[in-house]
Amino acid sequence: MYSADIRQPLVTGGKTYSDVTTDICRPIENKPTNSWWLGFSIGVVLLLVLAGTLAWTVWEGIGTWNTNKSVMWGWDITNFVFWVGIGHAGTLISAVLLLFRQKWRMSINRSAEAMTIFAVFCAAIFPLFHMGRVWLGFWPLPLPNAFGSLWVNFNSPLLWDVFAISTYLSVSLVFWYLGLIPDIATVRDRATSKARKYWYGFFAMGWNGSAKSWGRYEVVALILAGISTPLVLSVHTIVSMDFATSVIPGWHTTIFPPYFVAGAIFSGFGMVLTLLLIARHVMNYQDYITKEHLEAMTKVILLTGSVVGLAYITEFVIAAYSGYEYEQYAFANRMFGPYAWAYWTMMFCNLMAPQVFWSKWARTTPWFIFVISIVVNIGMWFERFVIIVTSLHRDFLPSSWVMYHATWVEVGIFLGTFGLFFTCFFLFAKFLPVINMAEIKTIIKDKE
Amino acid sequence: MSSNKYWKGVEELDQTQEFVSSNANEFSEGLPLEQVFSNDDSTRANRRDFLKYFGFGLGAVTLAACNKAPIKKAIPYVEKPDNVTPGVPLYYASSSVSNTEGFPVLVKVREGRPIKFEPNKEATYFGGGLDGLGHSALLSLYDTNRLKGAMVAGKRKPIAWKDFDKEIVTALNKVKAAGKSIAIVTDGSTSLLSQQAIADFSATYNNTDVVSYEPISYSGITRANNASFGKAIIPAYNFQNADVIVSFGADFLGTWISPIKFHSDYSKNRVPKNGKMSKHYQFESIMSLTGSNADVRVPMKMSNVGQHLVALYRELGGATPHKGMEVAGNNIKNAAEELRAAGNKGLVVCGSNNEADQLLVNAINMMLGGYGTTIDTTNYYMGQNADEAAFTSFLSKAKSGAYGAVITLGSNPVYSYSGAEEILAKIPVRISTSITMDETSSNATHVATDLHPLESWDIKQPYKGRFILAQPTISPVFEGRQASSSLAAWAGADVSEKNELSHAYKYAKKVFSSAVGGDFNKALELGVVENTSSPSVPSFNITGGEAADALATKKGSATELVLYQKVGVRDGAYGNTPWAHEMPDPVSKVTWDNYLTMSMPDAKANDISTGDVVKVTVPTGSIQIPVLIQPGQTKSTYGIALGYGRLLPDDVKNDLKDLGQNAYPLVDMKGGFADYTIGDVKIERVAGASTYEFGITQTHYSIEGRDIIREATLDEYNIDPLAGSHVHKPKMISLWDDYDYSKGHHWAMAIDLNSCTGCSACIVSCSIENNVPIVGRDEVRRRREMHWLRIDRYYSFEAPTKKDLELSIVHGGDQTVEAGEQMTKEKVMEAYSEASEDKSTAYNYYENVKVAHQPMMCQHCDNAPCETVCPVLATTHSSEGLNQMTYNRCIGTKYCGNNCPYKVRRFNWFRYNENDKFDYHFSNDLGKMVINPDVTVRSRGVMEKCSFCVQRIQSTKLTAKRENRKMNTDEFTTACAQTCPSNAIVFGDLNDKSSEIAQLYANDRSYHVLEELGVKPSVQYMTKIRNTKATSTKKAH
Repeated sequence: MYSADIRQPLVTGGKTYSDVTTDICRPIENKPTNSWWLGFSIGVVLLLVLAGTLAWTVWEGIGTWNTNKSVMWGWDITNFVFWVGIGHAGTLISAVLLLFRQKWRMSINRSAEAMTIFAVFCAAIFPLFHMGRVWLGFWPLPLPNAFGSLWVNFNSPLLWDVFAISTYLSVSLVFWYLGLIPDIATVRDRATSKARKYWYGFFAMGWNGSAKSWGRYEVVALILAGISTPLVLSVHTIVSMDFATSVIPGWHTTIFPPYFVAGAIFSGFGMVLTLLLIARHVMNYQDYITKEHLEAMTKVILLTGSVVGLAYITEFVIAAYSGYEYEQYAFANRMFGPYAWAYWTMMFCNLMAPQVFWSKWARTTPWFIFVISIVVNIGMWFERFVIIVTSLHRDFLPSSWVMYHATWVEVGIFLGTFGLFFTCFFLFAKFLPVINMAEIKTIIKDKE
Repeated sequence: MSSNKYWKGVEELDQTQEFVSSNANEFSEGLPLEQVFSNDDSTRANRRDFLKYFGFGLGAVTLAACNKAPIKKAIPYVEKPDNVTPGVPLYYASSSVSNTEGFPVLVKVREGRPIKFEPNKEATYFGGGLDGLGHSALLSLYDTNRLKGAMVAGKRKPIAWKDFDKEIVTALNKVKAAGKSIAIVTDGSTSLLSQQAIADFSATYNNTDVVSYEPISYSGITRANNASFGKAIIPAYNFQNADVIVSFGADFLGTWISPIKFHSDYSKNRVPKNGKMSKHYQFESIMSLTGSNADVRVPMKMSNVGQHLVALYRELGGATPHKGMEVAGNNIKNAAEELRAAGNKGLVVCGSNNEADQLLVNAINMMLGGYGTTIDTTNYYMGQNADEAAFTSFLSKAKSGAYGAVITLGSNPVYSYSGAEEILAKIPVRISTSITMDETSSNATHVATDLHPLESWDIKQPYKGRFILAQPTISPVFEGRQASSSLAAWAGADVSEKNELSHAYKYAKKVFSSAVGGDFNKALELGVVENTSSPSVPSFNITGGEAADALATKKGSATELVLYQKVGVRDGAYGNTPWAHEMPDPVSKVTWDNYLTMSMPDAKANDISTGDVVKVTVPTGSIQIPVLIQPGQTKSTYGIALGYGRLLPDDVKNDLKDLGQNAYPLVDMKGGFADYTIGDVKIERVAGASTYEFGITQTHYSIEGRDIIREATLDEYNIDPLAGSHVHKPKMISLWDDYDYSKGHHWAMAIDLNSCTGCSACIVSCSIENNVPIVGRDEVRRRREMHWLRIDRYYSFEAPTKKDLELSIVHGGDQTVEAGEQMTKEKVMEAYSEASEDKSTAYNYYENVKVAHQPMMCQHCDNAPCETVCPVLATTHSSEGLNQMTYNRCIGTKYCGNNCPYKVRRFNWFRYNENDKFDYHFSNDLGKMVINPDVTVRSRGVMEKCSFCVQRIQSTKLTAKRENRKMNTDEFTTACAQTCPSNAIVFGDLNDKSSEIAQLYANDRSYHVLEELGVKPSVQYMTKIRNTKATSTKKAH
């Protein structure tokens, strides 16, 4: 393949094919490090918090949350949208960048996809457990039943969510697994113990690395990328319709679909950066996840952050221009009402903070990027909080205006989903290659 | 039949060798059944037998599993009583239990259980409504804390009535022998049975003194009337005859004398007819329900009421001017002018309990000529006949040891009279009749447990010549005995049941024939008997001039504490009824608590905010209580509600145990009467006390200038009937063909904001009809009250005067407010006030607020936003325009609740029935008896909301169908509309063009709330018209 000398190499350190395999298989084949144990233990502890708080919620009722007669959705749906949003980077990186032949994606797509799947797991908890009768959680599925003419309501955006999220999860899972097969086969081939050979062999599904296999593999990857690409747009579009199709001022906005998609990519890249910077540091993958990668991702952050910021301002201008007092009040209330602190946190984190990435230093300084990535994560959580809570707490009739503050149960569930997420992620890092060895080998001599 | 040959596979088509051979066996390999069953010959079975065994086994397992279902006993009648058909309610005319004077009601009984009070529409004099407490008191019947039988101090368990009576008679005879007296302290009840029983008792024990005691005194009026025209009575007030009403601190719509009747009378003139409606001035210190409905509300110090009365009297030309008597700006002058013009259609009422004030009120009314039209002294009110002078003299006699025994007949002085406990304790034999272990009964030696009024016979006479008959609607739940029978038993009568007729029944019949006369059974059926005479004008023997002179020099105090009653629990007698506590106060919207109401200027000056706990010290005592800042409260006045702080028995749990502070000890008795206005108040913050959180259902004061409540002045309305409702709205075009509701029924509701006073009776009626759970103070704090119907209360500021603004604006500011402009954007004023340096005057405009009440329930939108978003179709629209909720299908996503623009959907956050945090209502077996069997009790995790009482629609339809006729829409109405004392809510079928609702929908004042959303609500509101001067004389274009 043609390579231009002015381009930076995609993998540094003069790695050989064998180096790649050894480096990336090292965490799988060796005993876990202390830092892995530490991270994993924290994850498990938080996972127990999740189990405990969910059990309490189901046992006592969602009255253990502080949602009330006006703010019926609080942290639950905020967290749902937050986690679904995070999931977006994985699909974007693996599907869209694949279609655009962006080879720098190769060292990050595996973990980004894993992150997507775990994030969707976390997200799915909320719409399920926010139901008053979670044990009937299967009723929104269009299942034939013996109750007569009972059927689901295809008008309801919540039902669209059910389809969107489940499609998204299944496609992402298949795509991720497909990409894993050649690498699992590598691990199988290097395995020394019988058990490892058996299990990795089982999941490698008899991969033999023949040209025929590779040919099919690549075709299927392209097809799946084709299927996934619209999902990048559709999932968060549909999530945004939960709000956009309602009548509540602050929700009822046509700008929501593009705005939510941009926000999702923004938050997804924020989370990818957070995770990769940790993995890169802990696992010594600086040569694979180079500053070039970081820079490329910060550029995406800068772009999507600005798109989101533009959406915030557009929304506000349209509200002011609308001449509709309820809409105007909803936005004035966001800025100056009792939850103004949340609004300004969001504005700072999402619109202002990413602007530092105009500077080359900021784009290439890992610790600084890490700080900003956390800021982006916080900002995007607040964006959803602002949209959901500040719109509901003061809507049409001032008699029903209320305040809403989460209880320890709601906070516990949110923290607990991080437990689920990190437990999954640490297990993934231990048992599966976090970088796509097969693909990375195609570019170790390559430049961008 | 088709001749096509279908084949399963190519093998079958080809009829290969393998196929033919394998097709011979259904299973490609033989089933190893033989091996399985080979151990036991008896189970060697062929396929058919196997299926038999299998079927039997499955059936047996199913049947065995069925056995685990909870066993619920439904016992059929062995002998079905006449007229009782399971599933069909019976209605009995009776008397409301919440007020001692009696109020006509119908009791709805299902399968022997009274489940609801409904107004007795036959009793037109009383208005055909009912209040919140009247409804709530039903739960006292199903109170697990009711006493189970005759109690003797020191014994936990009831003893037999025979032994009890023997003990009492011995004790009473001993008292007689010792030459001491017996006292009977009645509750001022108008019960003819009690009066007859007391007379019979006194005949046997001639050493008996009878004294009447009521917690709230109206002796000011009775004494003044005695002085004015020689009758110590409270007259009947006819608000329907009054064109101009001027009230000085009388909360006649909320708590004063007979508010339910006053409600309906008052509302008759509040809807403009032929360009006219009544005019209502209210001068008061606390913001009362009545004040919130006044056309002109003037903040006044209650201690200064005399000065105001004198000023009015002077303006009316009744007295020589006094110097330095400028009060209430021009309002007294305006009121006087209008009163003079109204003549005998003018009415002045006053809430003061001071005889001197009431004397002048009498003089003013006499001058206006209202006696005979607005005031009826012939068929006078009899519900309040206690005078505290009699009670104090009883107490001093008791102190001297003259009494050997006291019988407290339903009264509870230990709770509401400070010091009564110690004095009563000096009487050796203390007999109490009550249904629960109240404060007086806890201090008694004997409790002759009374029957609940719903288990009793009675004849009451709330107004002279107007009788109400009460009949039992349930057989006694516990072993109580009606108090009149107890008295008769102690007087030697045989009170045992004979021929299945109770003593009380026979007694009631006897009393009826002697005191009322006529057909007893017919009277029972109707519930009311009227035997009135035409009103005459009394002759006065005192002139207003003397009264005015006496008052003119009496200055109000610098600070004052007003003790008032809340609309919900009133005097506290039925303090243990949770419905009344959960009903938000119509003005403050606080549930479950009492508090110190404080004006905004005072709060700002002392840096006190709502929830701060303060120590209130007045000369009569002190009390620690949290503060509530109340718009409309007069500066330097404070208010505390009576009726709280009940000392209920130990086994009462939870919220009922902890009900505010008892303010009765603060009542000032120094002047020889119960004075509820106490001067010289000191307020200090309690150091270290944490902020108290009230359970408030509405925390936002302002309407934010939104077009939710439309209002106009009478003048504007007379020029343009569309005044206030003249909104330029875009033409709504639908992309779809709308559903055609013109066939069948189309249910709708109209609410007249002019008639609605906000009294909240509808809230309680709705809750009882629809099994709406009580959630308790803590859940209300979390904003989770379940009421399907709420009443939104909004304040708006009167326009600030230029002077107010000058006082407020110190820094000028760049915003300018036109003086005289209606202020609804409070923030602008707040900004001025906050900029002001003089905090004591900067918030003075909070004294002058206007109030609007708006009942809000599910609007049954034809394009309901809640319906489209439910993923499982749990909420759908009926062909009759009802927005229906299918509880069974609801999974609780709460999306519908979020998407409701009116925020009327309520979610079951917990399992509110069987709630282990409460021990009443749905949470114990006795309380469950009150459940309406026609309405599902909702489980945890489902959404609920107003159904337009769909169960009533259905049952009326079924009745009509059974009788093979068309149903009439006026056959029934919803629970809220039915109970509304001012007839503000009308429900009906829009397709019935002759119905009231169809006419109201065509009324010019009608509008929909949030019309512009295009949701097409089925509830219409009617513009509120205030009888004040027009702010604009132009006809809207």
